[in-house]
Amino acid sequence: MVVCVALCMTVGPYSGNRLALIVSFPSCAEKCMKCKEASPVLVIRVGDAFCKACFREYFVHKFRAMLGKNRAIYPGEKVLLALSGGPASSSMLRQVQEVSAPQRSNSLHLASLVCYSEGAVCGQSLAERGDTLLQMETILQASRFPYHLAHLEEVFDLPSSILQHAPHNPTGPKNSYKEAVEGFIRQQRREEGGSPSLPERQIQEKLAEVSLRDVPGMEGLADPEARLLAAVRTEQLIRLFGSVKTLTAKEELLQTLRNHLILHTARTQGYSKVMMGESCTRLAVKLLTNLSLGRGASLAMDTGFSDDRHGDVVVVRPMREYSAKEIAFYNHLFGVPTVFTPALDTKALEKASIHRVIERFVYGLQAEFPSTVSTVYRTGEKLSVTPGDASPAAEPERCLLCLCALDTNVGKCKRCLPAPG
Amino acid sequence: MAAPMSLLVEFGGGAELLFDGVKKHQVTLPCQPEPWDIRNLLKWIKQNLLKERPELFIQGDTVRPGILVLINDADWELMGELDYKLQDQDNVVFISTLHGG
Amino acid sequence: MPATCSACGTSPAALRRPKTGHALCRACFLAAFEEETHQAIVAGRLFRPGETVAIGASGGKDSTVLAHLLQLLDQRHGYGLRLLLLSVDEGIAGYRDASLAAVRRHQHRSGLPLHVVSYRQLYGWSMDRIARHLGPRNNCTFCGVFRRQALDRGALLMGADKIATGHNADDVAETVLMNFLRGDVGRLRRGAGAGPAGGEGAVPRCKPLRHAYEKEIVLYAYFQGLDYFSTECVYAPQAYRGYARALLKELEAARPSAVADLGHSGERLSLRSDLRMPARGTCQRCGYVASQPLCKACVLLEGLDRGLPKLGIGKHRRLRDKLQDGQPLTQEERRRLGALAEEEPPEEQVPLGELGRDEELWGKQELRGPRDLDF
Repeated sequence: MVVCVALCMTVGPYSGNRLALIVSFPSCAEKCMKCKEASPVLVIRVGDAFCKACFREYFVHKFRAMLGKNRAIYPGEKVLLALSGGPASSSMLRQVQEVSAPQRSNSLHLASLVCYSEGAVCGQSLAERGDTLLQMETILQASRFPYHLAHLEEVFDLPSSILQHAPHNPTGPKNSYKEAVEGFIRQQRREEGGSPSLPERQIQEKLAEVSLRDVPGMEGLADPEARLLAAVRTEQLIRLFGSVKTLTAKEELLQTLRNHLILHTARTQGYSKVMMGESCTRLAVKLLTNLSLGRGASLAMDTGFSDDRHGDVVVVRPMREYSAKEIAFYNHLFGVPTVFTPALDTKALEKASIHRVIERFVYGLQAEFPSTVSTVYRTGEKLSVTPGDASPAAEPERCLLCLCALDTNVGKCKRCLPAPG
Repeated sequence: MAAPMSLLVEFGGGAELLFDGVKKHQVTLPCQPEPWDIRNLLKWIKQNLLKERPELFIQGDTVRPGILVLINDADWELMGELDYKLQDQDNVVFISTLHGG
Repeated sequence: MPATCSACGTSPAALRRPKTGHALCRACFLAAFEEETHQAIVAGRLFRPGETVAIGASGGKDSTVLAHLLQLLDQRHGYGLRLLLLSVDEGIAGYRDASLAAVRRHQHRSGLPLHVVSYRQLYGWSMDRIARHLGPRNNCTFCGVFRRQALDRGALLMGADKIATGHNADDVAETVLMNFLRGDVGRLRRGAGAGPAGGEGAVPRCKPLRHAYEKEIVLYAYFQGLDYFSTECVYAPQAYRGYARALLKELEAARPSAVADLGHSGERLSLRSDLRMPARGTCQRCGYVASQPLCKACVLLEGLDRGLPKLGIGKHRRLRDKLQDGQPLTQEERRRLGALAEEEPPEEQVPLGELGRDEELWGKQELRGPRDLDF
């Protein structure tokens, strides 16, 4: 009977727009488009079926190529990875581990992680938050990178300097990427033989330091006074979000605060680069969402590979060429641990916010026209960070909250105006 | 006549929230006149496993856009999607790639 | 007991403004709507005293409200404009003839001069006839391309300095979404601006209602008792615009300011300066602005005339090049360009651009030869 099942596969009811490739039966008829030998396990774009091994190679290569192409990370530069525990950032952590292997010349030895926790405003109970943090810590510790846990509650303690653009202060050899790489390789050669190597020693020192540090927030609060303070902060945070009327505005507020928190962590810990794990799918949603929120002038800043609005800390988005599907498959096939945490809009009505409406629209259109996400993403690629009418010399007036150049002549940028109703 | 068959059905990426947070379900599909395929598995899941908000998981006769399906660790697009004929001991995984699950 | 108007505080409110959420009485709403349009005209410097402005009049709500408002505001604020109504007759039975009747009624009431240009006159093809050749799809492509040129030609004939169209905030928002979804960088660069400069045609265009919500335009027309024609075109609406339109409605429901915000985004998008943009020249045949040797309208017409209606639609560049070189097309290639199967054997291949139809720039008024006999 099993055999019979395999033979009765037919072309079936695929409409013209759907992937035309899947006319034949599974793995036996089609071969991986790369090695032409192994059976494929997934279809990436229309017609590109990859086997597991080739998919892994493709995935890992893409990350390295992304960093190389953009010449964003200098060898030996300190990089902070922003982790939510979600699929894209978890996958990014795995990629950083891949490129940090000791035999790589262009490595990210000084990577470290900041994991942010927003459970309080996303409806998680105290027990659930504790559980989430436990899972996160397991992943963080297993990564062997130094890490910082940042709780959204900490935003109340941020200095006001977080709202200021810090002038760019070039410290490293910014002019020649090639020189920097060669210099780093020379330095590594000199260090060879000594064990453990310098970066590793630093990591161990950092780890020790971190474990000593008292993390304000949920865990490790033996002190009842500290626990009380944490509870007060949480209460304050919930009140803040409760005072915001629409889900759209809550989403924007959360994003702003999250960015401030990550920026603060980077500044206090001395990082000049932050990696964010936004996928191509997420960026397509973000592009259309921000377009609908009136942030047309800031789209390139909000979604581009490199975002230098803060001056001293540059945000990069190395996962931006992976689709959500590729990431989900990679994580599933190669056992990348993720932690599911509810978002603000989890189980919310489909039309509850601009973010939600756009997400549903993009995923729906993508199912019908498989090039939707990539077209939107590529349109975003063509945008410029400098507004068309800006004079290049003058330092632009900036929005206090998002630090993008003002695009109105009334004093505040579009997103930061109060929401109607 | 399809004999009863045993499947491992998994939900991830937040899709499990619609199933009481349970990720792995060892299920046994009953006998039925026509063979089991993904299309009628989805119907069965809707009736037997889905705990809330069915529209966040199933739309029309297929999964909601943004939910990936893997059959025995391979993309269902390679397997005929809704028409894939299930076999005993198959592993079917549903992963949500949607932000708000 | 309904709420009181939040502006005058005396009359009962007649509506809640979708844009601001304010409850206003009828008189205060009309005054606010008119004043906002005036401000948009002043702030955008849309007109200069003494200019002749052709109002693209379709007979629908937007252009009817626009014509009404421009006449009213011109009198009230002394813009010093010469206003004209310009209509395009696409040749769609049951739709355009009925809406043109609405334009004529408006002409009689307002006393504004009216000029009608028809597709049949300009191109030798009515939309009804095009649709018979083309089948149910892609009609809107032909209609849109032809209308754009038709308005320009009509405006030139009337000696207009400017064309004002009734595009509202919803139209602009939809267009921004659609161009983004399609990755139409050229259109994104031209932007959704309202200003007189930057139109792509021969006559500068402006959109005085581009900040007005569709809902408010309908309410304005209703309260003013304006007579307009409100039936959908008999040909299916453009599929892709349909998606953008449905999306916009959902966005507006989630956050009413999204309509205006999309318009603002569209104005503020800036594209990378290193992108290669098509150079803009003029059409070899008719002299209209074009980035290719022939403008889109001439390619579409060429396709119609050759019995290959899909020549100008989709990606048939290779086939167009073949025609350009005077090479014959195979039966299969002709089929892909929409040639009917039962058609007579292909005529002798003439290179594209050598049919020599439209010698005189912009002045073409004559009906063309025997192909128009189906009327």
